[in-house]
Amino acid sequence: ALPNQQTVDYPSFKLVIVGDGGTGKTTFVKRHLTGEFEKKYEPTIGVEVHPLDFFTNCGKLRFYCWDTAGQEKFGGLRDGYYIHGQCAIIMFDVTARLTYKNVPTWHRDLCRVCENIPIVLCGNKVDVKNRQVKAKQVTFHRKKNLQYYEISAKSNYNFEKPFLYLARKLAGDANLHFVESPALAPPEVHIDLAAQQQHEAELAAAASQPLPDDDDDTFE
Amino acid sequence: MASTDPDRREDEETAAAVVEDEDTGAHVAPIIKLEEVAVTTGEEDEDAILDLKSKLYRFDKEGNQWKERGAGTVKLLKHKETGKVRLVMRQSKTLKICANHLVLSTMSVQEYAGNDKACIWHAADFSDGELKDELFCIRFGSIDNCKTFMEMFQEVAESQRKKEENKDASAAAGLLDKLSVEDEKTEVKACEEASVAAEKEPESEHGTNDADKKCEDPFSST
Repeated sequence: ALPNQQTVDYPSFKLVIVGDGGTGKTTFVKRHLTGEFEKKYEPTIGVEVHPLDFFTNCGKLRFYCWDTAGQEKFGGLRDGYYIHGQCAIIMFDVTARLTYKNVPTWHRDLCRVCENIPIVLCGNKVDVKNRQVKAKQVTFHRKKNLQYYEISAKSNYNFEKPFLYLARKLAGDANLHFVESPALAPPEVHIDLAAQQQHEAELAAAASQPLPDDDDDTFE
Repeated sequence: MASTDPDRREDEETAAAVVEDEDTGAHVAPIIKLEEVAVTTGEEDEDAILDLKSKLYRFDKEGNQWKERGAGTVKLLKHKETGKVRLVMRQSKTLKICANHLVLSTMSVQEYAGNDKACIWHAADFSDGELKDELFCIRFGSIDNCKTFMEMFQEVAESQRKKEENKDASAAAGLLDKLSVEDEKTEVKACEEASVAAEKEPESEHGTNDADKKCEDPFSST
């Protein structure tokens, strides 16, 4: 029904993402969508739906990510967003204990609407030095039979794991894995002198702007 | 993700020890049956002439700022038949494409003043299957890798330039050959006709002289 929810000719799933405000749900989705890491916090109002495609050895898959508001006052339809959810991510922030304490509430609300769907619990921001919730202290997933991943939307640590896990569960195939998406041949373009000069000018302007996050020297 | 910070590494290792390969999830029935498919990278007819780990940024003109595009492997791929070279970069782990464009003779890569491990260029990018003008910045783990990339990029652009010049030159040469051959043919024919005419009309001295002159011209000019 939503404009960006056009149907596609390959399998798609509704993924509901919940958790306290500021735990990084929107940043995580945006990281996957465009590659950028958004530092600025702008609370999500209601819900934002983003299609996210992955290429696997079993073909292309799409998750419609329902990125819901974490802040109570911006909750919008709340349970209404969970209807027909086929899988879910519950996010908390390992640097804010309260966000972990609230996980059972998110889980309960979700399970009231969506029964027996695969759910991943994500402890985000593990790149931060002073954690308040250590890995060993995270036990909720064992009690409720969820999968748990420590992630960092900033460093990309484990950032693909939640999607990989959900895809495997939805397809019932433990060997499903991501593969290289086909790199189509780019069409021939001709750049005339005027365009070249414009590009030079743009480059000169861009060259004076700093790079975000250029302190790490190892990439995986 | 290799972190240089010992505390962080410890935390990440603990996490890995706790989580890795351990499925604590409830058993849920799959909702779809998928068959294995043949995978094509689109790079089958190309050879990688460069392959380096890096981080890619794109310039957001509206916000006047650099934004991360992806971290992974950048490759320069040379087509086995056409010799065309393109830059393809994939995000690590998800293997999605974050850059895909031809390296053209008109392109040049420049140093980035803010970081000596980074450089910038402009390209018509085809990552999403439609051409988009992008300003890219790429950052490497070392100055050496950045230098290697820049040199290879420039070398490719230069070789494309030469290829185009050669193509232009040979096309022009071919055209000239054709032209002069045709000229000769017509001139020779003209001479023959002229001499035939001269034979037919021996009294016309002017005609014979003109024909002789004409006949000399094509040879003297070559």
